[in-house]
Amino acid sequence: MKTIFLFIATAFSVALNAQVTKVNLKASGLTCSMCSNAINKALKTLDFIESVVADIKTYTFEISFKANSTVDFDKIKSKVEGAGFSISGFTAFINFKKVQLKHDESVTIDNKTLLFVNIHEQVLDGIKEIKILNKGFISPKEYRKNNYPYSSPGTYYVII
Amino acid sequence: MLLFNQLQYSNIMSFRKMKFSIAFFLISLSCHSQELFSLTEPASNRPAGSIGFRIDNSIMDEINSTRINYHLIPEIMVGVSKKITIAANVFFSNRAEVFRKEGGCIYAKYRFLTNDGVQKHFRMAAYGRISFNNSDIHQEEIDLYGHNTGLEMGIIATKLARKVAISSQLSFVKANDNGNNNKFIYGSVNSEAVNYTVSIGKLMLPKEYRAYRQTNINCMVEILNQVNTGSGKYYMDVAPVVQMIFNSQSRVDIGYRKELSSNMIRTAPNGFFIRLEHTFFNVF
Repeated sequence: MKTIFLFIATAFSVALNAQVTKVNLKASGLTCSMCSNAINKALKTLDFIESVVADIKTYTFEISFKANSTVDFDKIKSKVEGAGFSISGFTAFINFKKVQLKHDESVTIDNKTLLFVNIHEQVLDGIKEIKILNKGFISPKEYRKNNYPYSSPGTYYVII
Repeated sequence: MLLFNQLQYSNIMSFRKMKFSIAFFLISLSCHSQELFSLTEPASNRPAGSIGFRIDNSIMDEINSTRINYHLIPEIMVGVSKKITIAANVFFSNRAEVFRKEGGCIYAKYRFLTNDGVQKHFRMAAYGRISFNNSDIHQEEIDLYGHNTGLEMGIIATKLARKVAISSQLSFVKANDNGNNNKFIYGSVNSEAVNYTVSIGKLMLPKEYRAYRQTNINCMVEILNQVNTGSGKYYMDVAPVVQMIFNSQSRVDIGYRKELSSNMIRTAPNGFFIRLEHTFFNVF
């Protein structure tokens, strides 16, 4: 806990040219196609979303985005919750262009700040799968296990 | 006396047979189910920004008469936010010889507990209903869905575990005098009751989801009870329902409500109901 606070305190944002290409989310709390349809239709109202491909059997949604749009993870979350359900898994596919990841630095993409958890120093290049660990983006059980402190809106704890 | 005993015996036997078949049906419910119950509401809400329209037709058999009581109840349901649903109904019926508008009600539900997991949830909600009715009061049963003026407050718990949904409602109802100077004639001490319900459902088709346009068929059984806190009189009804969901957006429920046991005056407890419903998503 203490180390995380230190980590935030020393975090240093790096603006970079990276693009969110796709999001895969898994919804929880539902077993019916009408419920899945409610999520599907709610997601499609977001102006930065190009398409939603729903897998009704597994309650997963593959979301792709319009070119040069700013992707808002919190808006995606509130659409799922508005439809009456929760997110139990949220993976963003981000295209990095040679980004040096250091232990005490965060990464900023558009309006999103990513705080990498449990990383070693490396160069991110190409499409990477980033899993969000914030409250409401993973199951409550998983969230309780990590117990990250509150982060300001637009700031996300992530793992690769 | 012998005839009476025989009649009583055959009644008891048919009641036992019915109980047996209901128990058998409940046991046969194994996996896959829906919580979109017909005569009760689940703790879950309507999607935020959605508007649903429902037309409820009840064709009830009036006791000791050849008359059929037809009730038509249109309803509008609005998903105000992720936690709040409000609904409004208008009551029409032909009870007073002519088919006419008799009243309406406003309903609100607030979901206060959500515990979601993959393909499961446990949710709880609190709800309230205010009803107005101008018809004459003709039964001890307190029914705020088309008969009495009054109010209801209750809680709902709905459990969805590995595709089996079970829901229960517990509420307090208070009847007042109806409009048009139609008094509640059974005394104010008998104007309050407790309602409790248990509902269970099963998805019969499709066996596997592939697309939103697949028609879903659900079978449900709802047990509906009322105990009057003044007189102690009660009823217990059962309602088997077959529900079809088209295009993941429209619903048709066909069911039959049957009194299992009661010692209160009721005018027309048994009959068929057909409910048609369509939801428009993301209206606002």
